[in-house]
Formats: sequence, C-alpha cells, structure tokens
Amino acid sequence: MKKLILILVFALFAFQPIAAQNLDFSGYVRNYTGMLFGNGNNNFSIQQNTLNLNLEKRFSNSAFKFNPMVYHYYSDSLTFRLREAYIDLYFSNFDVRIGKQQIIWGKADGVFITDIVSPKNMEEFLLPEFDEIRRGVEGAKFDYYIGNNTLELVWLPIFTPNLYPNSNSIWAPKQNIPMGAKRNFSLMHVNPSFDNSEVFGKFSAYTGAIDFEIMGAYMWDDDPTLFKYVHFATPTGANYLEIKPEYKRLTVAGGSFSTTLGPFVLRGEGAYYWGKYFSTNNPLVNHGEIQKDYVNYMLGVDYSLYDVKLSAQFIQRAIIDYDKAIVPTPFFKEQYNNMMTFLARYSNQSQTLTLEFFSYYDFEYKDALMRPRILYDFSDAINLQFGANIFTGTEGPFGQFNKNDMVYTKIIYSF
Amino acid sequence: MKTIKITLLLLGFVMLTASGTFAQKKITGLQIMENVYNRPTGNDMTAELTMTLINSSGQKRVRKIQQYIRDFGKVEKKIMFFVSPADVKNTSFMNWSYDDPNKDDDQWIYLPALKKIKRISSDNKSDYFMGSDFTYDDLGDRKPSADNHKLLREEKVNGVDCYVVESTPKDPDYMYSKTITWVIKGKWIGLKKEFYDEDGELFKILNVKNYENIKGYWIITHVEMNNIQKNHKTIMELSNVKINTGIPSSKFTQRMMMRGL
Repeated sequence: MKKLILILVFALFAFQPIAAQNLDFSGYVRNYTGMLFGNGNNNFSIQQNTLNLNLEKRFSNSAFKFNPMVYHYYSDSLTFRLREAYIDLYFSNFDVRIGKQQIIWGKADGVFITDIVSPKNMEEFLLPEFDEIRRGVEGAKFDYYIGNNTLELVWLPIFTPNLYPNSNSIWAPKQNIPMGAKRNFSLMHVNPSFDNSEVFGKFSAYTGAIDFEIMGAYMWDDDPTLFKYVHFATPTGANYLEIKPEYKRLTVAGGSFSTTLGPFVLRGEGAYYWGKYFSTNNPLVNHGEIQKDYVNYMLGVDYSLYDVKLSAQFIQRAIIDYDKAIVPTPFFKEQYNNMMTFLARYSNQSQTLTLEFFSYYDFEYKDALMRPRILYDFSDAINLQFGANIFTGTEGPFGQFNKNDMVYTKIIYSF
Repeated sequence: MKTIKITLLLLGFVMLTASGTFAQKKITGLQIMENVYNRPTGNDMTAELTMTLINSSGQKRVRKIQQYIRDFGKVEKKIMFFVSPADVKNTSFMNWSYDDPNKDDDQWIYLPALKKIKRISSDNKSDYFMGSDFTYDDLGDRKPSADNHKLLREEKVNGVDCYVVESTPKDPDYMYSKTITWVIKGKWIGLKKEFYDEDGELFKILNVKNYENIKGYWIITHVEMNNIQKNHKTIMELSNVKINTGIPSSKFTQRMMMRGL
C-alpha cells in the first residue's frame, strides 16, 4: 500500500509542471455508507471513501486523459483502480484512441446487450453507478466519420474479463457447483497475443428520424465456462469432480435504435450470440458444457408525465435449440427469460431535489431489485443522496441477494 | 426560416433595419410577433452563456455554457457544452430545429458519466430549460401561429417606443392563459413580457436588461425572468458573442458532443 501512496504522490508531483499548462483537473470525493437491514444484524455493508480524479488535457489535434480512482474502505484498506488512461489523436475524418478506455454501446439502460466491449465489475453486483460498473479495456479504438454516421472499430489485444467478488462477499453470486468439487484455475487465463485479440465493429447513424447502430464482435465471453472433469477412483484416491474455468470465444451481431414518436422516445436493442456455453447436469458429456446460440433483446419507451420522467424496458433472453439438460442459472432459468426495468424520476424546477425509483423485475424467478433514491444538491459542488436497495424473491438474479437489503447515504463533492 | 433567436440561449433578438416600412402602416399583432420570430440574423453565433438561478432564499446557482448556433437554411442547429458546475461539466446538448412546422425538433444529450448520447423528446415545449424559469417556448421556440395576437396599444418603456401585444394560445390547455409583450418598434425585440397562468394570474415577468450591436445585429446580452408566484429568478447573460465566424458544420455532430470543447 505504501507503494501505491508513493506512486500517487509521485504522480501528483510529476503532473505539477503540466498543471501549469492548464491541465484540466476534475472529479469528485465521495463518502458512501451502507447498512444492511435484511438479515437482522444491521451490519454496515459498505463504508467507502472514494477519490475520482480526472486529469485531462486537450490540444488542437490530440488529447489525453488519466483517470485514477482510489477507494478507501473501513478496514483501512486502499484499492486503486485506473479507470481510464488514453491518448486521443484527431484527424479530419477520423479519430484514434489508444490506451485503457471505457467503451459504451447500445441504447438500453441498466442492461447489457450490445454494450459488451467493456466488461463489468460485479464486486458490488449492479449497485454502483454504471460508469463504475464498467471496467476499462486496453486497446485501440478507431472512429471514421461520414457526416453524422460513424464507423467504429475496436481492437483489444489484452482480454479483460468480468470481475466478481470473493466467495465470502455478500455479493458473491450463487453457483451450481457440487459440494466437494475441486477448482483448478490453470486454464483461466488468456495470454495477450494477436491471435487472442478481441475485435468489435459498429456502424452508428444519427438522423432526423432515427438513431441506429449495427454491431458485430469476435470476442471472449467475459464470464468463464466451468468445465467439469470427473476423476474416477484410483488405488490412491476416491472419485472427485474437478472444475476448470476457461474463457471461450463468442461471436456476436446486433444492433439498436432510438426514435421519437410525439412525446415518447422508443428504444430497441438486440443481439445474437453464437456459441455460448451453458452448463448441463451431466458432467460426463462435453465436460458438462454445451454450446448454444441465444438471443437477447430489449424494447423500451421513455415518457415525461408533467415533471416525472418515466422509462420502462422489456428484456428477453432466449436460448435457441434449447436443451432441457441445461442447468438453470440466475439469468437463464428456462428457454425464454423475461425481465423488465422501470424508472421514475422527478426533479423540482430548480433541479436541486430529485426523487428516483429504479427497479428490475425478473418474470422467471419473480424476484426484483427496487432502488428508491433521494438526491439533493446542497450546493453546486455538494450532492447528498439517501437511498435503499431492496431485493425481493428467494432466488434468481436479484432474489439470490434477498438478505442484502440495505439503506445508504452518499455525500459527493465534485470539483 | 426560423433563424437564430432567443432560444435556449437567449438571444438573438436582432434588429430589422428596414423598419420604416411598418411606421407608415397599421400593423397587426400577428405581424409584430412574426417580425420578432423571423427577424433576420447572422448565419451563426458563438457565445458563452452564464445562467444564474436565484431561489426565494436568495441562494444562487450558476451554470456556464459554451454554445454554438448555425442556420443551415431548412434547419437550425445548436450545440451547447456545459462548462460548470463540476457535476455537469462536459455534458452536451444538441438541438436541430426544422423550418417545417410539422416536424419536431431533434434533440440529443450526452452524459459523460454514461459515455452515451441519448435522444430525447422535444415534444413538450412547456418543460423548463435546465432548471431555469425559462421554458423552451419562452426561449423562442414557440411559433407565432400557435397563438392569437392582438395589438393592445403603443407606449414607451424606459423611454423606448414599444408595441404592446397580447397573445392568447389556440390550445386552451397551454400552460399560459395569455402573454403580453412589449416589442421595441423597428428593432422587433421583446423588451418585456408578462406571462399569465391558467387562472389568469400574473405568473412570470421577463425583462431585457441589455442588448448590444454586434456586427450590425442587435443581440440581447442580459435578460431576467422573474417567477412572481414562486419568487424565483433566472438571469441569462451572454459574453464573448461572435457572429458569422463560419462555424463548420462538423461542429454540430455527435462526434463533437462526445469530444467536448
């Protein structure tokens, strides 16, 4: 940890001469305190102080950004994350961004369908702000502009997977792993190489009538496939099951759109995923994993009723050529898996006070996550938040955390 | 063509120099308001907008915005970059306003935290702009054909000759039951405007505090809107106003929304 502090101190001093050249400093300091109330013990689920520092400099034909985040936890531990660190080069008809960057695609809110370039940090499930859920990816992004249309190509030579919490975390997802199974992580690594690169492409258009995107990807599944190896009894040992997580390739094609119809904004997004591995209940066949294609799509509508912004989305995930041997998971219980999101947000006229309610509802497990929140601008720089995360149901993507109901406060000082 | 006008960013009340034409004839309320709405302006404008919101306790909130506006003939495009406060910095907003009265504006907002451009509906012109006391209609987007206009009288305001025009909405459900506008003769600037609520009570008063001649155009550089009922006030001030600098069309794209200033 001392090393980290030294690095930060060094970085601040190193940037001092640049600061004199109008380096743009911005960011926030945040205190986030959350208390559980769903399990009867009222433990603090989080006591976190965060520094988010954006260092940016813009030139006429280039720019750079360096965005470290430091998280301090009540256990006095420090976590350092470099969210973004990239250089932009601007040309007349195209831009190039090289380095660690967050890349966001699609029109859906709170769900990830074509938004699959930047993987997710699920250490606190889906509760952090969405810019904190996404992990930066290391690579190059090329944007070619034709009027209001953009052709975007992304090359990621270094694979970055989804990040999950330790098994002792309250946010550790439930996994269908038999008791006593041994884990072997020897294959859970993708060597950085040209052959192991990920490639993403997107064409996006903004027109007077409609905005749309068409995308494709040859990527790694951001979640590992849990291959199962049955080891039969030998003279020196008994039967046992070995789990070998391994990242596998995934091919994806999809698109999204957004348009207005009078007071409504209509949004849609969908993608077809080729060759996703699903666990089966027979570890003796294909090491307990079979490949299936699946479709994931969303239809949504936004509407303003007086001063209340309303938004609803319907999301469906459907496995093609479904096999009943597929083991249900929180996000794939059956062949068709339906979910909804709902958002209502009211701001007073001066926008100092905002009341918000966001929720997910899963039709298969009949579980939900409800997120009421009050936001108040104490001043232009200081924002106060008070909210709750309420999980209903007993299983499923949200019900699995039904003991993690929590209330929280956030104090954010932006600079 | 609807040209650069007071819109979001207050502005453009520009002088129609050939004003003598109207001096000799009996002018109608509709003609006056059309002159205000259609006054010719420069092809483009760059300016810094400072918006100060003052609540009933006297607390101030200040928003600084860099804005660009250009008239492309059948469409007027605006792009705004939020400079401060820090929590909205690098947010950008783009509006394409069409000549075709049957075509709604196209609007997008870029939220840097989400790194996403979102299309938003422009259907509700009664929405308040960025927490201010100005609705989008107040900022100039309301077409004269939406109201019936009556020339009430002519009178001086602070020594300036004005027409006084009463406008009543054709839509009985509109948020204002009527407005009364004091328009400077010949310059077609709405120097003062009173807004009455659905019950006919005085709701808001707009006062133009300053306007300047820039490259031959009269540009409002200071305007205040007082919400009488809520005791809330918004001050909009323009600075570093530049007219006809030849802003490239590439400025009004999603590429620039994401890149920022």
